[in-house]
Amino acid sequence: MKDSTAAIQIDELSYAYGQAEAVRKLSLTVRPGRCYGLFGRNGAGKTTTMKCLLNLLRPKSGQVSVFGIDPAKDEVAVKRRLAYVPDQVAFYPWMTIRETLDYLASFRKNWNVKTQRELLNRFRLEPAQRTGDLSKGQRTQVALIAAVCPETELLVLDEPTSGLDPIVRREFIETVIGAYQEGHPNSRTIFVSTHLISEFEGLIDEFTIMDSGRAVLTLEADEARERYRRIRARFAETPPKLEADGALSVRTEGREVEIVANGSTLAIAQRLRAQNPEAISTESLTLEEIFVATLKS
Amino acid sequence: MIFEINFKSGKPIYLQLVDQIKAAAASGAMRAGEALPSIRPLAEELRVNRNTVAKAYSELENLGVVETQPGRGCFLRGNNAALRKEVRRRLLIVEIDQALVQAHHLQVSRKELLELIHERMAALEEKRRANEDGKDA
Repeated sequence: MKDSTAAIQIDELSYAYGQAEAVRKLSLTVRPGRCYGLFGRNGAGKTTTMKCLLNLLRPKSGQVSVFGIDPAKDEVAVKRRLAYVPDQVAFYPWMTIRETLDYLASFRKNWNVKTQRELLNRFRLEPAQRTGDLSKGQRTQVALIAAVCPETELLVLDEPTSGLDPIVRREFIETVIGAYQEGHPNSRTIFVSTHLISEFEGLIDEFTIMDSGRAVLTLEADEARERYRRIRARFAETPPKLEADGALSVRTEGREVEIVANGSTLAIAQRLRAQNPEAISTESLTLEEIFVATLKS
Repeated sequence: MIFEINFKSGKPIYLQLVDQIKAAAASGAMRAGEALPSIRPLAEELRVNRNTVAKAYSELENLGVVETQPGRGCFLRGNNAALRKEVRRRLLIVEIDQALVQAHHLQVSRKELLELIHERMAALEEKRRANEDGKDA
């Protein structure tokens, strides 16, 4: 179904590099104002999907649209409304940071100079330094400044924090929350692909887990944490054999049982209680744990 | 005030913020007229979506716990004794429910549990009286 109000609409997208299928019939919708996570292992098809949105690749079949616009038909109109931080940031190495930002700003109708100044200070970047002399973390910081300053309605981040040190990663996410999300709530949409899920946990509203080019799970983050739970029970003696209906995994260790459940927590806990455990507890899985549990099962 | 987000609690993040502010108001950790942290720095610090913090604050406003003064921020409202009583009860209910679940697992009967509660109340009273006597002496 085509939804023209969506920031991103992907319908049955497929892409192959020669014979190698990278994305297979992927569908998802990113609503305006949301932070949407695309999770997957390396090679799951995340970057290919993002490149189709930016018209860097043409879909083999299926459709993508950004704010209702087909990137293949009107690439300029799409790029005007989004900013992109790629996984491999490359600038002209002979340009200074200031020259690079001026150059990138020249393509934009809007550029928040105050934000640029604040972020250069925050990241302790020296504007006169050549980008060729920057570390990977500093190059990513410059790319983030260039992505935040135009104040676009959509921010596309492809593995933005992989390979960066923990401090830089933390500052990156704080900047996305602080500087980027500062604008009108419904006109700040984030589409982020990552396998460093725990760092983005608090930011994610909704996510899709990809595996071998396919969407294997799409859920709201709060709903996911409510559905996926780990139940632990300890028995006086060796635990009884349990029916594992509705369980993603069952692990027994001595007198303890650990069950990971998807949605049927109450029923499973009831069955455990019927066996008179000494102690029983439940906790939610984090998004990263849900990711691992989904891909392992 | 210092907030803590627990992704393993299964409770939506905005609700965790709402409950923590309610708890702070009920316990006196936050007083009437005190300002809540601004949305942006709090979101950055907790590394949660700005919209999540904004949702928590608007929920608190709907509940009458806080009021927004345009341009100044969000403040804890005074004179919500009725609500505070309700909040206090709800906080206690959580603890009581946990004790009930535990009693069930330990196969402590209803009668036994009620007796135990009375016994503990008496013990606490005894202790309080002893403390007061100590003060007098």
